[in-house]
Amino acid sequence: MLWKRQIPIMIVSLIGFATLLGWFLDQPTFKSFVDDDATQWFDILAAFAIFLGGLNLFKLQMQKVLRKQKGWHYSLFAIGGLVFALLAGFVIKGNPEAAWGAHVTAKGTLFKWMFTYLVSPMQATMFALLAFYVASASYRAFRIRNFEATLLLASGIIIMIGRVPLGSYISSWFILYLLVLAVGIVVNSFFKNKQYTAIFVCVGIILVTAAGSTMGWPIDEPGIFYLPYLQEWIYRYPNSAGSRSIMIGIGLGIFGTSIRYILGIERSYIGE
Amino acid sequence: MNDRDFMVGSAAFTFIFLGYWFFGSPFFIADRFVMFLAIVVFGGILIFNTRKAQRGEEIFLRTIPGLKAVEEAVGRSTEMGKPVLFVPGISDMDQVETVAGVIVLGHVSKMTARYETPLNVPVCRAIVMKAAREACKESYLVEGRPDMFHEDMVHYVTDEQFAYAAGVNGIMVREKPAACIYMGKFYAESLILAETGNSIGAIQIAGTASQSQIPFFVTACDYTLIGEEFFAASAYLSDKPELVGAVKGQDIIKMIILSLTIGGVFLRILFDAGILNLNILEILTVR
Amino acid sequence: MMNYVIELILKLAKVDRRWIFLIIGLVVLIPLMYPLSLPIRPGKDSQQVYDFVESLEENSKILLSVEYGPSTKPEIHPMVTSLLRHIFSLERGHKVYVTCLWADGQFMAEEALEEVAANEYGLTYGEDYVLLGFRPGAEAVVKGIVSDLRKVFTIDARGTKLAEIPMMEGVNRFEDFDFLFSGSAGYPGTQEWVLFASDPTGVPMSTGTTSIIVNEMMPYVLGGQIQGILAGMPGAAEYEKLIGIKGVGTSGMDAQSAAHFVIVIFIFLGNLGYFIERKRSKRHQG
Repeated sequence: MLWKRQIPIMIVSLIGFATLLGWFLDQPTFKSFVDDDATQWFDILAAFAIFLGGLNLFKLQMQKVLRKQKGWHYSLFAIGGLVFALLAGFVIKGNPEAAWGAHVTAKGTLFKWMFTYLVSPMQATMFALLAFYVASASYRAFRIRNFEATLLLASGIIIMIGRVPLGSYISSWFILYLLVLAVGIVVNSFFKNKQYTAIFVCVGIILVTAAGSTMGWPIDEPGIFYLPYLQEWIYRYPNSAGSRSIMIGIGLGIFGTSIRYILGIERSYIGE
Repeated sequence: MNDRDFMVGSAAFTFIFLGYWFFGSPFFIADRFVMFLAIVVFGGILIFNTRKAQRGEEIFLRTIPGLKAVEEAVGRSTEMGKPVLFVPGISDMDQVETVAGVIVLGHVSKMTARYETPLNVPVCRAIVMKAAREACKESYLVEGRPDMFHEDMVHYVTDEQFAYAAGVNGIMVREKPAACIYMGKFYAESLILAETGNSIGAIQIAGTASQSQIPFFVTACDYTLIGEEFFAASAYLSDKPELVGAVKGQDIIKMIILSLTIGGVFLRILFDAGILNLNILEILTVR
Repeated sequence: MMNYVIELILKLAKVDRRWIFLIIGLVVLIPLMYPLSLPIRPGKDSQQVYDFVESLEENSKILLSVEYGPSTKPEIHPMVTSLLRHIFSLERGHKVYVTCLWADGQFMAEEALEEVAANEYGLTYGEDYVLLGFRPGAEAVVKGIVSDLRKVFTIDARGTKLAEIPMMEGVNRFEDFDFLFSGSAGYPGTQEWVLFASDPTGVPMSTGTTSIIVNEMMPYVLGGQIQGILAGMPGAAEYEKLIGIKGVGTSGMDAQSAAHFVIVIFIFLGNLGYFIERKRSKRHQG
C-alpha cells in the first residue's frame, strides 16, 4: 500500500511544491532543477515510454494479423509503417554524407523522403478534411432557434465574410438594406400587421437610399456596417472579452485541480 | 487531513515563512510577492472549503447536463450492445487536462464495469496509456469485476496528431460505438472526431479546456463541458465532499477575482484622471 | 409553383452531407486553378507587425520560432517566408536565428530558409541566418533559451558547434535578441513565448498563428504583450500585400472567399428550410 499510495502522493506533493516555489525563488541551483532538470526528466521518461506504446501497438496489430481478425489487412499497413519508420530513422540513411541525427532533415535521406512524400501529404489531407467538416457542421448546427443562436449565426457570418477579400466588396449600404428587411421581419412578428410592416420597410429603404445618395454611396461608410471593420471590432472586443473570461475560468480550474493534486486531496489518478 | 493535522501544518508553514521573511527572504523574487500572496490566500480558501465539506456541510452544485448524460450514454451503449469509446485527449500527463480526463475515465470505467459494457480507450501517449490502464483497472476492481478488465481496452495508437485522429475515426467507423466521450486536451482533430461520431449516430459528450476547440465540440456534440465544468467533473461524478468543497472554493476565488477586476478598473480610472496616485497595474503586474 | 419552390428548399435544407463536401471541394479547387485576384486589404493587426519589423534598428538580431507542421503549412508558411523576405529585403544587416519547438517545424524551417534566404537572396548560412533546430521540452526549451541558450543548443541543426558559427557571437540568452516572431499552430507556441520569454524580459514579439487560435492570442495583442498578429491565411495574404510580393497566401484567398460564401449560402438555405418546417408543424398543431 505504501508504494502504491503514500509514496506516489508524496512524490507528487514534493515535486509540485518545488515547481511552485521555483517560480518565486531566484536560487540558481534550485531554479535550474525546476526549469531544466525536472522537465528534462519528464522528457526522458516520455521518450522511453514510447517503447511501451510502440510495443503495445505492434503487439495488437500482430495479433490481428496472426488471428486473421476482421480488418487484419489494414494492420499490415500499420506494421509496415512502423518498421519502415524505424529503418529510415535508425538503419538506412540513404545519403552517406549526412551525419546521424542531422540525417532527419538532410537532403537525399530516406527519412526526409518519408517525411516529404508520405507524412506531409497524409497530415495535410487529414487537416484538409476540416474544411469539409466545418461546412457540414455549420450547415447542420447554425439554426436560428433562439436569441443566442441568432447572435452566434450573425457574428459567424460577419466574420466569415468580413475576413476574406470578398467582404471588402460588399458595400455597407447593402448591409443597411438587409438590416432594414431583417428588422421588418421582427416588426411583423410583434405587430402581425402587414400594413405596419410594409410602411416600416418602405420608410427604412427610403431613408437608407436618401442617406446613401447624399453621401455618394461610399463602400466603407458608415463604418459600423462595413463587414471588414465590423469583423475586426467583433474579434477585438466582444470576442476577446469572452476569451478572457473563459481563460480566467480555465486558469482557475487548472489552479484548483493542481492544488488538489499537490495537496493530495485528489487521488483518483492513482486509483481509489 | 484531520483538524489536528491541518492546524499543525498551517502553524508550521506560517512559522517557517515568518522565519524566512525575518531573515531577509534570500532569493525571493520580490516582484512576484503579490502572486505568492494570491496563491497562499486562494489555496487557503480551497482548503477551508474542502474541510468544511468534509465536516458534512451541504454544498449545492448546479446540474451540469453533460455529466448527467454520461451515465445515460453508458446505459444506451449497454442496451444497444455496442462499446463506449473514450478519448482522453492528445496531450501527455504533464497537462492538467489530461489528468482530469483520466480521472473522468476512472468514473466512466466504473459505470462500464457495472453495466458490463465494453470500453475502448485509444490513447495518444504511452504514459497516458499506463495511467489510464491503472485508472480502469482500479475501477473494475472496485466494482468487483476484475474479470472484465483486460489491458488492451486501453491501447496506444500513435503520438502523431492526425494519424491518431485517423486511427480513432477508423475505430468509430468499424466498431460503431454507441457513445463517444471526449475528455482532455484537443487541438484541430476535435472536429474530425466529433463529426465522425455524429455520422455514426453515437451520443457524444465532450469536455475540454482547449478554448479554440470548445466551439467545434459545442456544434458537433450532444453535450459539452466548457472549461471549468470539465475540471469540476471529478467532483460531480464522485460526489466526494472534499472535491465538491474544492469546487465551491473555486467559485469563491472567482468572486474575489471579479471584485478585484472591477475594483482595479475603478482605481485605474481614478489614476488616469489624476485623482489617485496609486497605479494598481504596477502592483498587480507580474514580471 | 410556390409549393415546388418550398419543396425544393426543404430538400436542400436536408441535403446529404456528401453533396456539401463535393460542392466545397469544387468551390475551393476552381479558384485555385482560375484565380479571381480579389484585392487584399491589410488589417490593423497585420499592419502592426509590418510596422514593427520596419522600425527595427540596423543589425538587429531576430529570433524566428517555427511551430507548425505540414498540416498547417498553407496558413503559416506564407507568413514565415514573407517575414523572411521582408527582413532580408530591408538590407539593414538583420540576422535571423531560427528555432523550432515542434519536430515538424525543423523541416518547415529548412524549406523556408532554403527558398528565401539561400535561393532568393543568396545569403550565407552562419553569417546571415542560422537554424538552431528542434529541441524537445516545450516550455522548458523556452525557459532554457531565456536563461542560457548555449545550454539548450550546443550544436545547430547541421551539427556545427555554436562556437564555430560567426553570428552566434554574443548571443547567449533570450535578452540578446531584439525581436521574436513566433509562427505557431498551437502548443507549444506563441503563448509559451509570451508567458516565459517575451513578457518577463521585455523583448518585443509578434506572431502569426492559424485562424483558430487567434481568439486565444487576441487578449495578448490588445494588452500590448504581442505587437500585432498575422491571423491565418488572410493575415499571410495581408502581409504579402504589405511587402509587395504575392505568394501562396494571396492565391489561397480566392478559394477561401468562395468557400466562405458557399458556406453562408448553405447556412441560409438550412435556416430557410428550418423556418418553413417550423411554420408547417405549427399549422398542423393549430
